[in-house]
Amino acid sequence: MKFKNVAATTGLVVAAAIALAGCSSTATPAASSTPTTAAVDYSALSGTITAGGSSAQANAQAAWSTAFTAQAKNVVVNYDKSQGSGGGVTNWTAGSYDFAGSDSPLKAEQQTAAATLCGPTGAINLPIYLDGVAIIFNLPGVTNLNLTADTLAKIFSLKITTWNDPAIVAENPTATLPTTAITTVTRSDGSGTTATFTNYLSQTAPSVWTSAPGSAWPIAGTSAQKGTAGIVSAVTAGVGTIGYADHSAIAKLSSASIETAKGTYSPFSVDGTSAAFAAAASKATSTVAGDLAQKVDFTKITGADMYAIPLVSYGILCTTFKTPAQATLAKGYLGFIASATGQSVAAKNAGSAQIPASLLAEIQTSLALVK
Amino acid sequence: MSDDMTSATPSPRTTSRDSLKNSGSAPQGGGAGNGGASLRGSRVRPGDLIFHSLSTGSAIFIMVILAGVALFLIIQGIPAIVADWSTDPSLHEGFTLAYNNFWQYVGPLLYGTLFSSAIALVIGAPIGIGIALFISHYAPRRVAGFLGYIVDLLAAVPSVVFGLWGIIVIRPFLLPFSEWLNTNLGWIPLFGGQVSTTGSTILAGSVVLSVMILPIITSISREIFLQTPRLHEEAALALGATRWEMIRLAVFPYAKSGIVSATLLGLGRALGETMAIAMIISPAILVSIRLITEGENSQTIAANIALNFPIASTLQRQALIGTGLMLFVISLAVNIIARYIVTRGSAGGGGKKRKRPTLPITPMSDTSATTTLDIVTEEQKLGRIAVNSRAEGASV
Repeated sequence: MKFKNVAATTGLVVAAAIALAGCSSTATPAASSTPTTAAVDYSALSGTITAGGSSAQANAQAAWSTAFTAQAKNVVVNYDKSQGSGGGVTNWTAGSYDFAGSDSPLKAEQQTAAATLCGPTGAINLPIYLDGVAIIFNLPGVTNLNLTADTLAKIFSLKITTWNDPAIVAENPTATLPTTAITTVTRSDGSGTTATFTNYLSQTAPSVWTSAPGSAWPIAGTSAQKGTAGIVSAVTAGVGTIGYADHSAIAKLSSASIETAKGTYSPFSVDGTSAAFAAAASKATSTVAGDLAQKVDFTKITGADMYAIPLVSYGILCTTFKTPAQATLAKGYLGFIASATGQSVAAKNAGSAQIPASLLAEIQTSLALVK
Repeated sequence: MSDDMTSATPSPRTTSRDSLKNSGSAPQGGGAGNGGASLRGSRVRPGDLIFHSLSTGSAIFIMVILAGVALFLIIQGIPAIVADWSTDPSLHEGFTLAYNNFWQYVGPLLYGTLFSSAIALVIGAPIGIGIALFISHYAPRRVAGFLGYIVDLLAAVPSVVFGLWGIIVIRPFLLPFSEWLNTNLGWIPLFGGQVSTTGSTILAGSVVLSVMILPIITSISREIFLQTPRLHEEAALALGATRWEMIRLAVFPYAKSGIVSATLLGLGRALGETMAIAMIISPAILVSIRLITEGENSQTIAANIALNFPIASTLQRQALIGTGLMLFVISLAVNIIARYIVTRGSAGGGGKKRKRPTLPITPMSDTSATTTLDIVTEEQKLGRIAVNSRAEGASV
């Protein structure tokens, strides 16, 4: 009986593979390599794109796949957001995904592991999603909160424990701050948002924040919640809570303004995040041709109109696919994402910021290398 | 008087059951062995052969699976268990940064797993047993059937749903209660510390966990309670026991080890629960007995694996698998203890049904009662109702 089932499953898989191959062989290569994206015709594409990873990208991916499949009617896009960045990369390395969504680019060891999947040409990281890490809080009577990086680091390392601490009062002279204890809400699971935020703290407040940046929250004693949604619901439920979350997911919670230029506190804005990213990001050194992994130097974000904590998330894919048809599909979809249209679709539907146009052009150039 | 009842009643049943079993099984066995063979001839029917090999295969299969899982956990876990965590580069980072060796990491996790399950059991077991008792002995038949169905339905609720329910309903619900406990009973270490403002406490997690283990405890104890011989119950009632006295004197002694094993199976469920705990509790890897704080909730093994698996490097993943091995060992230990309690309860072992009656001290029995019941038991084949009416008549 057991064998029968196995046989049936195998049959199914084989049938699916044949069907897929049949479908994709009819697909003609789309001209997705041109940087001018407005006139690209995706209607000739057909097949299934399977991807997964970063939950920060989830809302944007949903918007992108809806908009993309409206043009490419024979394409199905499956993006599994339940995996998280790490799980996405793991599954992609195992060969289950066409591309992985990840909040951090491949590490050297992951790049090595990817060689078995991608061959000698390796894998490229494409920055496709930009948003800000919002500092959300719930304090009755307070809707605007100004914080410097130092104070932020002190709050999140539990060195400041009450809302009427002199440091916070000095930065918010007009607000009436209660004696309420601060409940710091952080992520209990590994997260790209945590990696970005701890990276920000260690770069901008090195004297206060001494823990190494990373995707696991390093300090015990906080209220640790699972997932962005967990943070948002805990901050909403508690009184005197403060937490960090991807801006597109914070719903109606108030978020703090953070000091960028001396004495200027700027709130989150889509344009401010794009401007900050443009100022702070530079291409990280990479041995792989076309790799666009970014290094963000948060100390360069000093403009009064910039938002202090931009969060970039990547699409990771092989430069050489096992089947050219599948490469065409993935190129088509990622090319759409990295177009002006794609970025505005995400901004409109997921509330995210837009990747600067110069970088979008670079992504298109990198995508042209994919085969 | 009623004490005499309980001690007296079970012993005859032993005899009856045993004799029944013996008289039943002995001739049957003989018949199947001799008569069957001679009648059918020596040819083995294909149906028999297929069914025999299928069921044997299934039995072997489950053993192989279990051994395979154990082997997998050991082989995968060993590298991280023996590694030096303070120097190994891939363990000296991320979520395993603060620990010098595997035991330092798994110790608080083991504690947290046992602690949260213990609280869940303290809350859930009495309620589960209470529901089972209501269904089996108090509720009208129609209500009992419906209630039993509802409780079984609880087992089908996915734990993610329980997790969401915990976040949205139980956390805020417990908040005022936690504050009250902290203000008034804060001197008890359990309720001390900085009280949580979001409700993300081990108390909230354990309350949800206790609801999750209800179906197991309830359905097993209900079955055990229903197996209490009517004879015992009717006899107790006939001797003037109230409903509660009857349950205390006839049902509980009979069901004692059944309740223990139901509870331990519930514990097994609680130990392995992942999703709801991961969603509700704000975890930290430390040993703490505080129930209502935000940052001092001991993390459980299963939730810790779920939360950290996606970001783990190869060796960190092996460390998590190592903690999984420890969970496997505790679950095994819990099951062994459950078995031990059940067999010890039966004084001499054997099947569930036979062991119970030997529990009470037989020699104390009142002669007349024994005789009466002995007479009854000989006619037990006539059916339960007949027996009951006889017993009632006899003891009255």
